Amino acid sequence: MIGGESNPLIGANVVQLKTLNGTTTDAEGHFNLNLERKAPQKLVVSYVSYQTDTINLNETGYGHVHITLNKLKDLDEVEVVSRKSGSHSLRTETRGITSINEGELQKAACCNLSESFENSASVDVSYADAVTGAKQIQLLGLAGLYTQMLTENIPNLRGLAVPYRLGYVPGTWMESIQVSKGTSSVVNGYEAMAGQINIEYKKPDEKDKFFLNLYGSQMGKVEGNLNIRFKLNEKWSTAILAHAEYFGIKHDNNDDSFLDDPLIEQLNLFNRWKYKGDNLRMQFGIQYLKENRKGGQMDFNPEEPHDAENGYGVGVKTDRYLGFLKIGYILRNRANSSIGFQNQVVYHDVISFYGLNNYNANQFSYYGNLMFQSYINDTRHQYTTGVSFALDDYNQQLNDTTWIRNEHVSGAFFQYTYSNYKSLNLIAGVRLDYNNLFGWLFTPRLHAKYNINEHNMLRLSLGRGFRTANVIAENTSILATSKQIVFTKELNIESSWNFGLTYTAYIDIGVKELSITTDFFHTRFNNQVIMDREENPFIVYIYNLDGKSYSNSIQVEAQYEPVNRFELKLAFRYNDVKTTIGGELKEKPFVSKYIGLLSASYQTNLKKWQFDLNVQVNGDQRLPYTGFNPEPYQRPERSPVYAILNTQITKYFKRWDVYIGGENLTNYRQDHPILQANEPFGDYFDSSIVWGPISGIKVYLGIRFTIRK
Amino acid sequence: MKLKLGIIIAILCMAIMQVNAQEIKTTIDTVKIQTSAKCNDCKERLEHNISFEKGVKSVELDNETKILTVVYKTAKTNEEKIKIAITKVGYDADEMPADQKAHDRLPACCQKDADPH
Repeated sequence: MIGGESNPLIGANVVQLKTLNGTTTDAEGHFNLNLERKAPQKLVVSYVSYQTDTINLNETGYGHVHITLNKLKDLDEVEVVSRKSGSHSLRTETRGITSINEGELQKAACCNLSESFENSASVDVSYADAVTGAKQIQLLGLAGLYTQMLTENIPNLRGLAVPYRLGYVPGTWMESIQVSKGTSSVVNGYEAMAGQINIEYKKPDEKDKFFLNLYGSQMGKVEGNLNIRFKLNEKWSTAILAHAEYFGIKHDNNDDSFLDDPLIEQLNLFNRWKYKGDNLRMQFGIQYLKENRKGGQMDFNPEEPHDAENGYGVGVKTDRYLGFLKIGYILRNRANSSIGFQNQVVYHDVISFYGLNNYNANQFSYYGNLMFQSYINDTRHQYTTGVSFALDDYNQQLNDTTWIRNEHVSGAFFQYTYSNYKSLNLIAGVRLDYNNLFGWLFTPRLHAKYNINEHNMLRLSLGRGFRTANVIAENTSILATSKQIVFTKELNIESSWNFGLTYTAYIDIGVKELSITTDFFHTRFNNQVIMDREENPFIVYIYNLDGKSYSNSIQVEAQYEPVNRFELKLAFRYNDVKTTIGGELKEKPFVSKYIGLLSASYQTNLKKWQFDLNVQVNGDQRLPYTGFNPEPYQRPERSPVYAILNTQITKYFKRWDVYIGGENLTNYRQDHPILQANEPFGDYFDSSIVWGPISGIKVYLGIRFTIRK
Repeated sequence: MKLKLGIIIAILCMAIMQVNAQEIKTTIDTVKIQTSAKCNDCKERLEHNISFEKGVKSVELDNETKILTVVYKTAKTNEEKIKIAITKVGYDADEMPADQKAHDRLPACCQKDADPH
């Protein structure tokens, strides 16, 4: 029998360790399970919002076992199971979620979110252009815009933050990242079209009291991170997370007169608080970010007038303020029921110039989500329902043109979760939103997981997603070309359907388990904002999709530990992404036809040393058409295939860790990334045709100092 | 170039074999010590700190019995040294009481008078 602190738990999952031999408890909290003899004689007992517990039957005896679970500290939707492996898929989740934990994040010590996906087969990271250093992610071969970013389950890093957002999340602030492909839960809004990435920051009341990280690279980049956590009393705790980075040395190794990497100064401060009462839990915090990027030609002087005589310069100044408040109330008289209220306010201001283009913009956003969670009959049938309100006020100015957009979205949602550990798990959700610009939007989503047997499981996802495009902010790379942006029509909201099928097999080889995950995802756009640069060398046309646009992505990923503490991962993905551009169905530019990934990690006994290596092979990409340019400013139709090699060695001491690593060790670089670099104010100047690394090998060294709790 | 690489690899292999040969000569012993650990935090804290003691080859705390099993090289350390190390983290080690200062620095939930949880 399984009970909570007072009442029996109905529908709790009971599974024998390392097997899928399991059952759920009945209406009185009782269960019956025939054990497999070969597997460990231990039971893993789990229940939503309770702490998962492992029971050793050799100690408790086999007959009648009474198990009491403790309540979880937080109301977090996704519980992250920590295991030795750095990145792993969560086996019991209905949705296919891959979690990247702190151990994995430390494998690529530098510097922020963009480096966190080096060992992830599903997420690709690439440069947006050759002058701003902005990086973008791709999921399912679709631009990062179609992936919803959350910080602690609140939508964040949207709108104007998009171009540089990966740089806004310092690596050492993160506790874990959850990546899911396909449309996700309706609870977080209608945006996730291709996938969802949730970032969990370090919490005030957990882990280390003091943490310091210092980092330097041979290029001259320095970084510091400081995390301090205080527990004021049993109920209150707070944390200060601070990050500063400085890169002030100009490099031009490809001799095109342009900086390979922009100069960056960034200060990022975050103070968060947590209150943990008996029934009431609360978290709030404020964050401030200031960033200054300078790029362009080596001899450009930002102090002098930004004209052709001074040379080509790029400057982006960003100020970002964020405040959030989350309140959770646990209903004592009804098991597994709670009320949650999430609030977030963001003000984002950017002042920038790209050559002779001036782009200044600001954004004010509010997000509020009120949720109620409970169950029907017994806790195998759970539901979450609620209402949300989101407001976005944009004010953008590009040269002489001003755009003002005030968008507000009110919505209601209902999500039903059925969990029956043995065979079928289901999450079905609907939401209905009213958008003041685009009217009523209906978003249905379904996720199912079916355990065929102990070693094979099948996941299915189907759903719809929407998103409003912010054309200029999302395509700042076009500002760093000589091209003009022309809107040919009023733009509609983007909408798509996504379908995904994932098959996971666990195969025992000796004492270790080989896991093989194969997935297929199809995304079909009903409307998409098309950026057409293939009609005219001087103009980029922006219009609504007229025809087909889809993405097919097939991925196979295998993970195995052939020798103790030596982990191997091998993955391969094939992308087929096509869009109708100018009346013709074309391969989407800048999407690798295929991606291969090999990652190896070895830890010595007692974790004194750690060695990590990863190789990524990027298949050829279609490049935008440049045939209408004069010959010197044309580029081939497709990029070459290339590989990137990264490695890191970490030595652990009692309080200190020292790490040394290298990125792009083969020193692979894209030749001549900028068109007409010798005449940046000419008609064919274009820094946006970037398919590979611009700066070469990077070697870094860093130390971490930790005072544990 | 290839020959050079071959020679380097051969030397490395020999060096590793040498190290292994040395390890075989030193004797390995195992000790089980009853500690006053309370919770999972205590387990992490003890295992982390003791793993950095000289000569320790492996360390594991049993969550149920709170017995710490340490495998160590007899040439580099001994049972008493390991027990002293445990007391300095703030826990009792068999008959040896915890270092009072270290014990008082532990979070309230991990101190001896805390309820087991």
